[in-house]
Amino acid sequence: MTKEDIIRKLQDKFGSDLEVVQNNQPEPFVYISKDKYREFCRHVKTDPELDFDFLFQLAGVHYPMPSAGSGSSDERFEVVLSLSSHAKIHRMVAKVKLDIIDPEIETISDIWAAANWYERESMELFGIKFLHHPDPRPLLLVEDWEFGYPMRKGWTGPDFIPMPEK
Amino acid sequence: MGVIEKVPAYIEKIPGGGIVTTSMDWVLNQSRASSIWYMLFGLACCAIEMMATGASRYDFDRFGMIFRASPRQADLMFVAGTVTHKMAKRVKILHEQMAEPRYVIAMGGCACNGGPFYYDCYSVLKGIDKVIPVDVYIPGCPPRPESLMEGCLRLQEKIKREKLSDWSSDRKNA
Repeated sequence: MTKEDIIRKLQDKFGSDLEVVQNNQPEPFVYISKDKYREFCRHVKTDPELDFDFLFQLAGVHYPMPSAGSGSSDERFEVVLSLSSHAKIHRMVAKVKLDIIDPEIETISDIWAAANWYERESMELFGIKFLHHPDPRPLLLVEDWEFGYPMRKGWTGPDFIPMPEK
Repeated sequence: MGVIEKVPAYIEKIPGGGIVTTSMDWVLNQSRASSIWYMLFGLACCAIEMMATGASRYDFDRFGMIFRASPRQADLMFVAGTVTHKMAKRVKILHEQMAEPRYVIAMGGCACNGGPFYYDCYSVLKGIDKVIPVDVYIPGCPPRPESLMEGCLRLQEKIKREKLSDWSSDRKNA
């Protein structure tokens, strides 16, 4: 399906909870609201025409200050999903905005099993809580890490040497 | 003592053969330096160069260096690649499992001082000498096989300069 067809199909189903980002990418970028997140994920996976059965990236993003070009100027965290389909050969990017203080979202590791480790990584590096996650252990950092969430902007730690200004 | 200072080994011809007079230090050092068995400890990209050096074009086996996968059977540990904080604990445990006399070569920029990950990185240990004692540092990203062999030859020279008393039980080698 082409980019416009996917966007039209999703807008028919979700209406005002969906917001499309206008850019020049060949794949659709959509923002979905937080309370329709799980329904959206289940729909794009099980719908026979969309058929996004492959989640190949789930990443957290931290926007600590008003930033231009992202569609909104609030401080927030985001979770970005990159989805693709093996049978239909199309891709999509879905994003959801979270609060800047205590970001939390439901887990989708029962919809796509790959989300399990990606969510563990985001939990550990950003501090985003994924509710009802089956295995919320830390994944990448040292076992006795106690220096905060390293991938947030402005983080410093004991062994962290920032690049000197020119 | 005059014999030992003149030549490393003094050969005296007697009817029926010869006698070689040498020092214990020299014999042990020669034999240890000519058969260093290294432990395969490739963590990242430098491991490819280490494997290439052990392969047929630049051969390690002609120096007597064979790889052993277990630290218990190895004398030398090449730390080849980026060491993260999580891996540093395991590197220390493996280093302590090697039997003395043991040596460490820090191969590549990441093992020497963090390399390209020195700035702006939360997870990389800036140099393996923060956890284990290193004998030879080989810079490069990755070092060419010729550099790696030069580092091993320097290590051989270092071994040949040792004395028996260095490895006695009174002196702890860190």
